Amino acid sequence: MSKKIRRSQPLLPGETGRFAAIVSAVILFLAVTPILTMIVMSFSGSANLDFPPSSYSLQWYKAAWQTFVSPDESDVLSLGKAMTTSLMVACLTMIFATLIAVPASYALTRCEFRGKAFAMQLMSLPLVFPMVVLGLALLLVFDSLPFHLSTSRLVIAHVILALPFVIKNCTASMMTIGSEVEEAAQMLGASPTRAIVDVVVPLMKSGILAGMLLAFIVSFNEFTVTYFLYNIDVMTVPIWMYSRTVSSLDPTVFSFAVLIVLIDFVLIWALEKLVGEGGVSF
Amino acid sequence: MQNPPITRQEDAAKLRRNRPFSATARAWLFLTPSMLFLAVLIVASLLVLRMSVGTKGAEWSGFSLDSYAQLFEPYYLKSLLLTLRLALISAVIAVVLAIPVGYTMARLKSPLIRRVFLAAVLLPLLVNLLLQSYGWLVILGPAGMLNQALKGMGLITRPIMMLYNQNGVLMGLVQTAFPLAVLPIASAMRGISRSYEEAAATLGASRFQVFRQVILPMSLPGIITGATLVFAYNASSFVVPLLLGGRRVPMLAVMVHDQIAPLMNWPAASAAGVVLIITTLAIMTLSEFVTGRRRRMLEASQ
Repeated sequence: MSKKIRRSQPLLPGETGRFAAIVSAVILFLAVTPILTMIVMSFSGSANLDFPPSSYSLQWYKAAWQTFVSPDESDVLSLGKAMTTSLMVACLTMIFATLIAVPASYALTRCEFRGKAFAMQLMSLPLVFPMVVLGLALLLVFDSLPFHLSTSRLVIAHVILALPFVIKNCTASMMTIGSEVEEAAQMLGASPTRAIVDVVVPLMKSGILAGMLLAFIVSFNEFTVTYFLYNIDVMTVPIWMYSRTVSSLDPTVFSFAVLIVLIDFVLIWALEKLVGEGGVSF
Repeated sequence: MQNPPITRQEDAAKLRRNRPFSATARAWLFLTPSMLFLAVLIVASLLVLRMSVGTKGAEWSGFSLDSYAQLFEPYYLKSLLLTLRLALISAVIAVVLAIPVGYTMARLKSPLIRRVFLAAVLLPLLVNLLLQSYGWLVILGPAGMLNQALKGMGLITRPIMMLYNQNGVLMGLVQTAFPLAVLPIASAMRGISRSYEEAAATLGASRFQVFRQVILPMSLPGIITGATLVFAYNASSFVVPLLLGGRRVPMLAVMVHDQIAPLMNWPAASAAGVVLIITTLAIMTLSEFVTGRRRRMLEASQ
């Protein structure tokens, strides 16, 4: 087998052999196994968690749909409401994170200024900051405020979490734009602000869009920090799912999960199309 | 988004005269909105620090180091050691698995396969950890996939317990943090020009030798970054030990939450949180130091 390959297609240095490719494919398959398992389980025809399921049916999807259209009394909060909150928080996070990240990445790529290294370090802090401590800390802050915040405290938390992703993508795409286009615009009479808004921002559209998508995905899937900050009126979908399965795991959750994975997959695929060759910047 | 006042009022001549000041001021003005959000993070961490030296009942006014002393009790010390050990082992395993994947991804030619690979890397990172833990529950359960497979191969006769112990948690930790190891390694390996490999091969190195003596040393900064990210991420992992460990694998992050939710002991939770922050920052600084030196050495040798 290997001889035949070598004869037909000699491997040049710098090309991965078939062996390495297969090993990587297997490892990556293992990495997504939990997600795939969940997708298969959602089509299970039996009521237990045996894998592979003994029969296949759409019963859990039907049950999930029932929960969605007619929530029973035992549920503290309907899925519809949780879904609305989730989408609203994710959209607001996306908008705010982008609005603040674009000027920040302009400063980080175009300007030389005192404290730049410090600012860069600070920007990536939320990536490595322990999420549990962030949840705890924000809870302390919001509880000591004299006024009450509900949805907005989730948005603030999610913007902090999404910020490094958006900034990385915006700076990466701004790096590819030479400063001469801006200078040309200014020479033709545009004010510095106008040069940025009308020339630089449209050119870095794909980076901004990628950042927006990432912000949405991060917010939509965030659990840990939200778990500290939610209250009974403001619940996101992950929290709703956890509160439902905290005592026992029922397979209707798998059908919801498949829906969420599907949304995530579409967003990630779009993200890759936008970001293209270089890969997503993290 | 933009701040019109400064640009409109600014006189070009004035701008030129004291440029260093205005450039810095302008840059910081652009940074202000994001800095406001990060300031929330900083203030919040300072509050945690203050809370950790408070006393229960008088959180804001009291001062005592009891909460830190408490961390040296055997139960907490064990939890701390368990957290560090699991984070370390998971970082090693994740990096070992990530090296071939990163290398393959860096050298893939087909755009479609590259996108599929990248999607497979990004999914575990971005999809809600809760959902992935549900998947693990199905895989690791007594009648789950892994037990059935092992039984089918005749390796075991009775299902072995993998859920609610350290092995299950470790598997979950490796899988969820795996992308954090792959991404920096792949980007480091993409940065290595193929001419190095060609040169080594011309000089008679075998493919394995090229990989071991050229690729690995040159991508070491990426490998260290990956290992650090996995370690830091898993040291404060919350969802995985919560769902896959039940209450039997008390990692530090779960303890932080337990101190608040049933116990309402804010100082103890904060002290554990401070330990988490210090661990994370220490390991990041160390890695920054090592990779920085390594990178300078590589640059000097080129």
